[in-house]
Amino acid sequence: MKELDPLLHSQLRLAVMSILMNVEQADFVYLKEKTESTAGNLSIQIEKLSTAGYISVEKGFSGKKPRTVCQVTEKGREAFERYVEALKTYLNL
Amino acid sequence: MEEKRLTEQESINIIATMISRTKERYIGDGNIMLLWGWLIILVTCLVWLMLALTRNPAWNWLWFLIPVVGGIATPIMAKKSEYKRGVTTYSDKISSQIWLTVGIIAIVCTIICLGFGIMGIRVWTLMFIYALIIVPFAEIAQGLIVREKSLIAGGACGVVIGLFTTSCLICDIPLFAYWFLPMYILAFACMMLIPGYIINHKARTK
Repeated sequence: MKELDPLLHSQLRLAVMSILMNVEQADFVYLKEKTESTAGNLSIQIEKLSTAGYISVEKGFSGKKPRTVCQVTEKGREAFERYVEALKTYLNL
Repeated sequence: MEEKRLTEQESINIIATMISRTKERYIGDGNIMLLWGWLIILVTCLVWLMLALTRNPAWNWLWFLIPVVGGIATPIMAKKSEYKRGVTTYSDKISSQIWLTVGIIAIVCTIICLGFGIMGIRVWTLMFIYALIIVPFAEIAQGLIVREKSLIAGGACGVVIGLFTTSCLICDIPLFAYWFLPMYILAFACMMLIPGYIINHKARTK
C-alpha cells in the first residue's frame, strides 16, 4: 500500500488543493466561501501548503483591500496526483 | 470546515464536493463586449459623419480611437471583474489568451497598413477584413469555450459579413461608405451588442 501524503490527508488542506487543482488561481475569499472554513484556520492551512511548496501565494491589493491569491505549483500538482493514486489503491478503485 | 483526520472514503468525498463547487459555468459579464461594441459603432458613425461633411480622408485617423480607448479600458475592466469573482478558471485563461492574440494581430495589421502607407499604397481595407474575420472567429471560439450560443451566433454573423466584404475586395467592388459602414455597424451590433446584453441579462437573473 502506498502511504497517503499526511500534508494532503487532512480535511481543509485537501479541500483547498482540490479547488486549486480545478482552477487556474483563486483568492482567499473564494477559498473561504467554497470550503466553508474560518479565516484563521484557512490561513494556517494555506501557510502549511505554501511552506511545503504545494501552492504559491501572492499577496497584493484590490483597490485598498488586501488580496491573497493562491495557485497550485507543479510540485503540488504531482503530490495531489500521487495522493489520488494512493487513495485508489486503498479503496480498490 | 474543521481540521481533522480523514478516512479514505471521506477524502474522495471532499475531492468530489470541491470539484462540483468549482464547476459552475461562468460566462462572464457582457460589459467588455458592450464597451467594444458601442465604441466601434460610435467611432464608425463619427468617421462616416465627418467624411460625409468634409470629404476629407484625414478623418479616417479617428479609427485609432478604437484601439486607444478600448486598449486602455479593457484590462482595467477585466481586472475588476476578476477581483469581484475571486477565481480564474482555465477557460478564463484560454479566453483571455485568445483575445490577447486578436490584439496582437491587430497591431501587426496596423504596422503592415502603415508600412504600405509609407510606400504610398493604401491597404487600410485590411483592417476591415481583420475586424470582420479574425474578431468574429475569436468570438465563436470563446462562445464554444463558455458554451454561450449568443457569442457563436454573433460571431457567425460577423464571419458571413466578413466573407462578403472580402469577396467584394477580391472582385474590386468598392466599399462605399453609404452601404458598407451601415453593414459594418450591423456586424458589430450582432457581434458585440446583442451578445453583451444577453450575457448581462443572464448574469443578472442567475
